[in-house]
Amino acid sequence: MEILQLIQSNLLTPIILFFLFGIIAARIKSDLKIPEAISEFLPIYLLAAIGLHGGIEMRNTGFENMLIPMLAAIGLSLLFTLKHYQILRRLGKFNIFDSYALASTYGAVGAVTFSVGLSFLKNQGVSSEGYLAAVLAVLEPVAFILAIFLTNMAISKQIRAKKQSATGDASSDIDVGLKQTKTKLSQVLHESITGKAIVILLGSIVIGYIIGESGFDSIRIVFDEMFTGAIVIFMIEMGIIAGQRLDDIKKVGIFLIAFAIIMPTFNGIIGVLVATVMGLSLGGAVMFGLLLASASFIAAPAVLRHAIPQAKPSLYITSALGITFPYNIIVLLPIMFTISTLVHSEGTIDLFNYVLNGLI
Amino acid sequence: MKLYNVKLLTVTCEILAQKNIIEILKKHDITGYTTYEVEGNGARGLRGQGLQTEKNVKIEIIMRQEKLSDVIEEISRTMFADFALVLYVCDVGVVRTEKF
Repeated sequence: MEILQLIQSNLLTPIILFFLFGIIAARIKSDLKIPEAISEFLPIYLLAAIGLHGGIEMRNTGFENMLIPMLAAIGLSLLFTLKHYQILRRLGKFNIFDSYALASTYGAVGAVTFSVGLSFLKNQGVSSEGYLAAVLAVLEPVAFILAIFLTNMAISKQIRAKKQSATGDASSDIDVGLKQTKTKLSQVLHESITGKAIVILLGSIVIGYIIGESGFDSIRIVFDEMFTGAIVIFMIEMGIIAGQRLDDIKKVGIFLIAFAIIMPTFNGIIGVLVATVMGLSLGGAVMFGLLLASASFIAAPAVLRHAIPQAKPSLYITSALGITFPYNIIVLLPIMFTISTLVHSEGTIDLFNYVLNGLI
Repeated sequence: MKLYNVKLLTVTCEILAQKNIIEILKKHDITGYTTYEVEGNGARGLRGQGLQTEKNVKIEIIMRQEKLSDVIEEISRTMFADFALVLYVCDVGVVRTEKF
């Protein structure tokens, strides 16, 4: 099988090996640790590099054809968040808070996963559309905002129902509750837009667009050639954190483990197919699929702990970082790459038939 | 030198709860506090490892007796259920009581 071969060769890349090494280091209780300042710096560096590349690409190709993929990504992200919620709430029997928190974690995007994806494509000698960096920035807050909005709606509905059963002069409580909901949402919106991830990403896209290929030459050594190396260092850290959480995986339950593997696979494959239909390149379709498949584990706790404090972070961090992230970068990336190669080699005219035949 | 009696409230909590605490303080017109990052073990497991957002923080607030019970009441009501959090109060002496 081609996929198995690709997974096998992917396993032996430095990124994956260092990730697995980090897990082992954590399991043998080594005191190996990436210094705090560096592990805080690396995500900023990765996002800056992603942004610069995106900006330069957008200068070369223009961004008029960016709008449709971006809207499609937002639409799919919202749709998937709702679908996750229904699955978690109805089939998984999670409470409303955990369901929304998990649904948005899996509807949101992971910047680290995105970086690994870019480096995977580089390894395969394939490029992707630069504007996907902008899609990454826009997608970052979308799923959270939806989930927080719906959670607050559900809470105020509960308050209202309680209020109706108990007569009295507590109507002011509801107003207060609704008001709090609104301020919470605008706070979340403000915080995520001014948050460091989006600011550095958008800033670098703009700077990349301004400086172009010629201006990039002077910083290429840092932001291009060192990119994969920097991911490797970050992967040690990710591996250590994931390794420390391996015991928690047993606690999240079999349902969530299955969810954390099946959902990204489904979302990612849909993403690859939709992107191919929209005319994205082979690599672009893989990255688009990866955007939808990835779960957020760096931004999610910071946002959700504030907006939905009732949800248990041990559930959404453990499943996103401990299960979905390794699965995505080790197994799902090669799968999506193979699917994208298949549908792209069929030619665009046959594509719809191919997709249909594939599904039936 | 004469020392005046005021209260020292110490809150040890997860770093993401810090903002909530400071908002509550603001609501009660308390602007002074000191925070520092800490590690430790507690009912919710070992804290201070892993992601940046999973660290713990210790917040010290000096305030007058009158505000203390309101502040503690609000912290307990809004945060005990959802956050990893411990708080305690001590008596401390200060020189310039008008600062608090």
